[in-house]
Amino acid sequence: MKKIEIFEVALCCSTGVCGPSVNEDLLRITAAVNKINASGGNAICYNLNSNPDVYVKNVIVNELLMKDGETVLPITLLDGIVVKTKAYPSNNELADWSGIALSTDASSNDCGCNSACCGDSESGCC
Amino acid sequence: MLKLYEPAKLDLKKYIFFTGKGGVGKTSTACATAVTFADRGNKVLLISTDPASNLQDVFETTLDNKGVQIQGVPNLTVLNLDPIQAAYEYKESVVGPYKGKLPESVIKNMEEQLSGACTVEIAAFNEFSNYLTNKELEAKYDYIIFDTAPTGHTLRMLQLPTAWSTFISESQHGASCLGQLAGLEDKKDMYKNAVNNLANAELTTLVLIAKPEYSPLFEASKTSHELKELGVKNQILIINGIFEGDAGLCDISKRLVEKQTTALQNIPEEIRNLPAYKIPLRDYNVTGIEKIRLMLKSNFLTDSSEVVEIKGYHKLNELIGYLHAQNKKVLFTMGKGGVGKTTLAASIALGLIARGEKVHLTTTDPANHLKLLVESTENLTVSSINPEEAVKKYRQDVLEKAKQTMSQEDLSYIEEDLRSPCTQEIAIFNVFASIVDACDEEVVVIDTAPTGHTLLLLDATETYHKEVARIKGDLPDAVKKLLPRLRNAQETEVIIVTLPEATPVYEAQRLEEDLKRAGIHTNWWIVNSSFSLVDTEQPLLTAKAKAERMWINRVYDLAKGHIVLLPWLKENITAKTLPKFFE
Repeated sequence: MKKIEIFEVALCCSTGVCGPSVNEDLLRITAAVNKINASGGNAICYNLNSNPDVYVKNVIVNELLMKDGETVLPITLLDGIVVKTKAYPSNNELADWSGIALSTDASSNDCGCNSACCGDSESGCC
Repeated sequence: MLKLYEPAKLDLKKYIFFTGKGGVGKTSTACATAVTFADRGNKVLLISTDPASNLQDVFETTLDNKGVQIQGVPNLTVLNLDPIQAAYEYKESVVGPYKGKLPESVIKNMEEQLSGACTVEIAAFNEFSNYLTNKELEAKYDYIIFDTAPTGHTLRMLQLPTAWSTFISESQHGASCLGQLAGLEDKKDMYKNAVNNLANAELTTLVLIAKPEYSPLFEASKTSHELKELGVKNQILIINGIFEGDAGLCDISKRLVEKQTTALQNIPEEIRNLPAYKIPLRDYNVTGIEKIRLMLKSNFLTDSSEVVEIKGYHKLNELIGYLHAQNKKVLFTMGKGGVGKTTLAASIALGLIARGEKVHLTTTDPANHLKLLVESTENLTVSSINPEEAVKKYRQDVLEKAKQTMSQEDLSYIEEDLRSPCTQEIAIFNVFASIVDACDEEVVVIDTAPTGHTLLLLDATETYHKEVARIKGDLPDAVKKLLPRLRNAQETEVIIVTLPEATPVYEAQRLEEDLKRAGIHTNWWIVNSSFSLVDTEQPLLTAKAKAERMWINRVYDLAKGHIVLLPWLKENITAKTLPKFFE
């Protein structure tokens, strides 16, 4: 069973709900991680505020942080190897890595602005 | 008719908690209660968790967080806990070991997330939980008196039934404040006992203190409700500062009595049936043991200390002239509840209209007496935000979104997060942002504001979102635009409002520091409701006027002379009386 580790930024709350907007990524990741673990997989999220230790002890993560600063977060490791930085993995990626079925990213082209185009060309939705 | 507050005649329990809004007299009442019992031969420990505590002045003794025996009151030990300091130490203990091991930007991100209201609450609760459950102290003292009680939010946090056992220990996904508590897991039994002791009516009395005014009474009723819900039901109410002087002496005192009578007749339902007591308004500052002893007994006419000269002040009209000349577009009146923000926001709005500007005025004041002004003036748009509705709507939106992906168990933690002070501020802030955004053609005057912490949180999240390639749950556009706007001193003016008293001034000072951290520039201060500027022969009020001057001068220094001083106003605030402020 491959181990998925996600190193997040320090947030006031990891659900993101006491931040200025609901970060659906955080909610999605919470649910996905719970599902993976409940199905016999192995996934873990670290919040910089509650587990700073692992950001120091993990050599790969620490080097990335020292080089690029906090903007490199979130970092995802798969069995200790970096598979993603600066963004959360999608459900498809998580499913691939863990071998556990998750709800697919039906909305992978949806930038999260409900129905209309949000005008953010980088998000690739318009 | 209210009965006089005489602690010795009441059935007060071993643990006594005093709670109430800043500036209502918590500290002096707690001190007077402590001294009363100590003088009767009881062993008493008095603990203050108020960061603005002036216990040192009150006892004219240097205090520490270990406990100091008070000279002249042999049975009394006093302890001063500073939650800001405690929060700072807690933050340092979390972050300190990582300095040098993680890059500066990461450390900063951590520090900011630990600068919020949650951290202060946790650190404070952590400290006094200790005093509430310590067996040694329990045996040593007859009474353990706390000035400042835990908020409902803190208690709920610590009561979450499943939080400790499953959530924190098994899941790495801690909810906000609970996540912070993870580091203190070894204290979970202590927290549980503390909450149990608080809720035990045989052990604890909770004393709500208010002044005979709308806003502190409203605040007391809210606290009362929250604490009752959590099982802390052994409550009494003290109304401090009842004016009993000769109302016939002058117009001012007559009006004072009328205002107070109205407030007491309209006392909120929630606290109407609590056992209630009064403490009359005193004409002296409660400093020194002699005056503490007097406080619950009698007046002590005319303070003999020297009269301090006021260093100087501006009129509100001069401030309005400045705002107009500088072409400021977004104005905030900031400060704690009850200092008169709404009234001042309205006066400033009217003053600007008189100078030919179009103004949009918006408020979160639950009393919303701005309604009175709507019809009366051209070029004025008034809107009001009901904070409770804003929060309710925000919660619904969040839960609606969360339900799509989360299990019921996860949802309960989100629901708890949604009760945090941060969430409330952000919900209101979103509504503000949309109002400011819609008003490019007018001057926008806003009577309440988010704290510096919230602003930094928004900033951090905005930056964070930029880094995330696929953005979900994006920051509202209005909020994005508002932040740079607030930091632009050319366009925005933040005016700090306070009263000429110890606690409100200390609180305003902390607010200013928060804003500075968030990169928001402040300049002007308004000191409201001064008795120094009213004509009165009434000895009690004259003495009050004398006592407030050192606070006026302190603000003068803080604001480098950019201070507006306003008189205590005898009239009720209406469309007609409002212009009096800027005349």
